[in-house]
Amino acid sequence: MSALFLVAILFICLAMSVPVAISLGLASISTILLFADQSLLSLSQRFFHTTQIYPLLAVPFFILAATFMTTGGVAKRMIDFANALVGHFRGGLAMAALLACAFFSAVSGSAPATVVAVGSVMIAGMIRSGYSERFAAGVICNAGTLGILIPPSIVMVIYGAVTESSIGNLFIAGMLPGAILTIAMMITIAVIARRQNLPRQPKVSLKEAIHTGLEAFWGLILLVIILGGIYLGIFTPTEAAAVSAVYAFVVAVFIYKDIKLKDVPQVLTESAKTTAMLMFIIANAYLFAFVLTTEQIPQIASEWIVGLGLPPWGFLIVVNILLLVFGNFMEPTSVVLILTPIIFPIATQMGIDPVHLGVMMVLNMQIGLVTPPVGLNLFVTASVAKMPMEEVIRAAIPWLLVLLSVLIIITYVPIVSLIVPSLLGVL
Amino acid sequence: MNTGARIRNVINHLEEGFMATALAIMTLLTFIQVVLREFGTGWVWSLEATTYVFAWLVLVGMSYGVRTQSHIAVDIIARKMSPTRRRTMGLAAIILCLLYCGFMFYGASIFVDRLIMLGNNARDIPLPRWLLTGIMPVAFALLAYRFVELGWAISKGEVKGLSAEHHTAVTTNKTPNGDPS
Repeated sequence: MSALFLVAILFICLAMSVPVAISLGLASISTILLFADQSLLSLSQRFFHTTQIYPLLAVPFFILAATFMTTGGVAKRMIDFANALVGHFRGGLAMAALLACAFFSAVSGSAPATVVAVGSVMIAGMIRSGYSERFAAGVICNAGTLGILIPPSIVMVIYGAVTESSIGNLFIAGMLPGAILTIAMMITIAVIARRQNLPRQPKVSLKEAIHTGLEAFWGLILLVIILGGIYLGIFTPTEAAAVSAVYAFVVAVFIYKDIKLKDVPQVLTESAKTTAMLMFIIANAYLFAFVLTTEQIPQIASEWIVGLGLPPWGFLIVVNILLLVFGNFMEPTSVVLILTPIIFPIATQMGIDPVHLGVMMVLNMQIGLVTPPVGLNLFVTASVAKMPMEEVIRAAIPWLLVLLSVLIIITYVPIVSLIVPSLLGVL
Repeated sequence: MNTGARIRNVINHLEEGFMATALAIMTLLTFIQVVLREFGTGWVWSLEATTYVFAWLVLVGMSYGVRTQSHIAVDIIARKMSPTRRRTMGLAAIILCLLYCGFMFYGASIFVDRLIMLGNNARDIPLPRWLLTGIMPVAFALLAYRFVELGWAISKGEVKGLSAEHHTAVTTNKTPNGDPS
């Protein structure tokens, strides 16, 4: 009963265009007041406590690092490098856009940020070179989702915080699936390019390729610093995020000199705004998860699902469908925060590895980012490409096939997510 | 510019300045902690200070997000409505938001009140806890004020909805070949 009420209030609020954060909060508060003897005091205490959760501190730092990298010309240098590597193939510019998204994902933990960084240059570039607008937008919109799969990833930080599993392991586990998805999309582009006879870019000399590589080096090395530092135990993921932010500041201001010192407050304000917006959602989603727990909804759900006698693979199908449906209506962090408390205990009971489950959830969230009605990447692509929303949706849909096939591989071949961490001996 | 507008302008700048400074402090504190550890030392109060600065950043940022209309909302239904209906629903949504602010303000006030009664200091910072958490009721009051302001703008038809600007800007851009710029 209380569960129904909770969900009903949530959806009514969402439908009325109440901000997602407040919808979550209001649904939690009203359920608590009507059905449980928890007080408003304990709810506001919990709200405040969210900002004291150590792993979540990584969120603002990664946002800051990405903002420095976007405004600081790092993205542009990565695009040049990607272009030098794959531009001369048929459809090379699209491949370069994809590769640049993969590179930029390695410094940014968010998918929309990746779309903005690469899309604002590459969509116009592709159209100028004779690609159809729809193809250009489709590539960027989908390749941008790599932002949350290739480490660092804010969604993984949140999954790690909620399940209290190692964020470092999740980061390391995301690399291979990220590479597989990049390759799968690369092949798709190659096939389409052949069929549509898309243009090639002039081949660059080896010397020039090395030059662009060195230019992009300062950005590309960041992932090594993050993963290396965490892996060697020099710093925690949260500290790694702060180190990234300081590093990105130094690179943008002193090495590339694309940002002047007087522009730094602007970057800080912009990042602080994004942080506050995201944390407001997260804090309320924690309230929501708390209400789920006090109402014992995870237990009821898990008894029900276990009672169905589903085999693990059947359970994973259910999880995938659930995540895809929720992912269509909410942005990734909220979905992870709301559904993880329900899914995680059942999954552990079935012997599914937490890291594998995490990678799988991230992939589901990627699909949610490019499916209407609430696909953040769709909104962002529409605004950087200056295209109507409907057109972007049509552009993004065909690529879902690629994402879905990779999702199936990730879901049913756990070794893909687990092999790198276990080879490194961290799992 | 009249006095009211000027005061508002100053407040806006204060808000932005505060948030930027808070983020800078958090980042530097955490970074310095890593460096100091390499030298086998560190500041005990650093972590706790970081989390409190973070809390203040988020709490002040909530209302800033309303002013800049950057909170994410699902507006698929709203966008399909007639302007009059949309305005009515926008105002209803504002009332729900105010209800939320009221509940949280009330809860936060009791929370801070309890801390004043307890009167103890934070773990590592030599300041009373109520002082560090005291921003919370203030922040929710400020959030409510921003929603009232937004509600007023919606009722006068200056603003379409709660997160309208960003998303409608996206959808009303109907030129299929993109902007010439």
